[in-house]
Amino acid sequence: MAKELTTESYIEHHLTNLTCGKTSAGWTCDPYKVEQMGFWAFHVDSLFWSIFLGGLFILFFKIAMPKKIDAASAPTGAQNFIEMSIEFVEDNVQSLFGSVKNTLIAPLALTVFVWILLMNLMDLVPVDFLPVLAGHIAYAVAGEGVEWIKNPESFYFKVVPTTDPNITLGMAFAVFVLTIYYSITVKGLRAFIAELTLHPFGKWLIPVNFVLEMVNFIAKPISLGLRLFGNLYAGEMIFILIALMLFFSSIPIGILGFGLHLVWALFHILIVALQAFIFMALTIAYLAMAHETEEH
Amino acid sequence: MNINATLLAQAVVMIVFVAICWRYIYPPILSVMQEREKRISDGLEAAKKADDSLEEAKLAFDKELNQAKAEAADILEKANTRASQIVSDASLKAEAEAEKIMVSASTSIENETNKAKEELRQQMSDIIIDTTQKILGDEISKEKHEDILKKAAEEL
Repeated sequence: MAKELTTESYIEHHLTNLTCGKTSAGWTCDPYKVEQMGFWAFHVDSLFWSIFLGGLFILFFKIAMPKKIDAASAPTGAQNFIEMSIEFVEDNVQSLFGSVKNTLIAPLALTVFVWILLMNLMDLVPVDFLPVLAGHIAYAVAGEGVEWIKNPESFYFKVVPTTDPNITLGMAFAVFVLTIYYSITVKGLRAFIAELTLHPFGKWLIPVNFVLEMVNFIAKPISLGLRLFGNLYAGEMIFILIALMLFFSSIPIGILGFGLHLVWALFHILIVALQAFIFMALTIAYLAMAHETEEH
Repeated sequence: MNINATLLAQAVVMIVFVAICWRYIYPPILSVMQEREKRISDGLEAAKKADDSLEEAKLAFDKELNQAKAEAADILEKANTRASQIVSDASLKAEAEAEKIMVSASTSIENETNKAKEELRQQMSDIIIDTTQKILGDEISKEKHEDILKKAAEEL
């Protein structure tokens, strides 16, 4: 079922994930059966890039440090970069956490920052490059044998994991779980429940308090995930629209599109780094709140 | 753009990566950095201490030097005093010696003179007696006129 390449289909193609899941007929990645998969479906492309880039981060930080590191020798090359990023994270954790000692926070912040930065940076790879490459590879490997790969162009492949709300909300969810865990272990279950029910109106309005505090509590991870998703999704969208200027319009507008592409890419570098930083800073802040024991 | 199991998968993946970072990546790097920081601050402190002790040593050296100079001046002064004392002592002694020699010399001259005088007197009296004997014969003997002779000798 080869679709005609229109503006609409081009945009749709770029905004659709490669989704694999279980249908009544078994496991499939057929984009036309996504509806049947229900909840238990996976965005294979998002997860692939997410794991690939996370692995890249771990590998880089493991390999770039000299095998036998000792404090006597001066750091060189990539080690400088690594130590710089660790210092940056330590500074941020220090400023938000103060005296509270929790050895998980800094590694968590470092992972979140570098990982999201790498995932966001995928946005700067030309929008068509990796999807088309993946399409051709899939077509060459699976070919006509798989019914849903009609041709290289019909293969869905989204390369920026952070434009997938599942990814950003997934990370926010993990942070949320950690927040609850530390709230309970540091403050104690009683204090945690009291915090959710006894503010702001005292013990006579517990249901009202609970609803208000719950909204506040749930809003944190959701806003954390959606902020990152929204920024990157919009950025990606603009890249797609600019790319459309090159292919679906006259030559002068196409030339203008090249200029816009450059300008937007340069501006987007800022967003990429900023959003990674914001996610990290908020992660630290939420966990710091979970460690705060005094009444407010 | 459906919310599906990707969300849970990503949460699990994230926890795994954070755990790896927490367990294997972060601590060795951080410990190296902290150790280096400690080394640097220790080094700076040691340098400051060395500076201080150098200053102290300089002060001690100056003090010692001044003391040594003072001592040297003192010794020199004492030596000078002593030398002049020795010279003056020596000159006094020499004078005394000279005086003594003079005195003894004059005494011995006097003695010699007296001795010579005595001898002369003796000889004179002897000659006189001899002569008188010769003139008077044996009338006069030395023994007989002992007191006369003595008187005469005294008159001489």
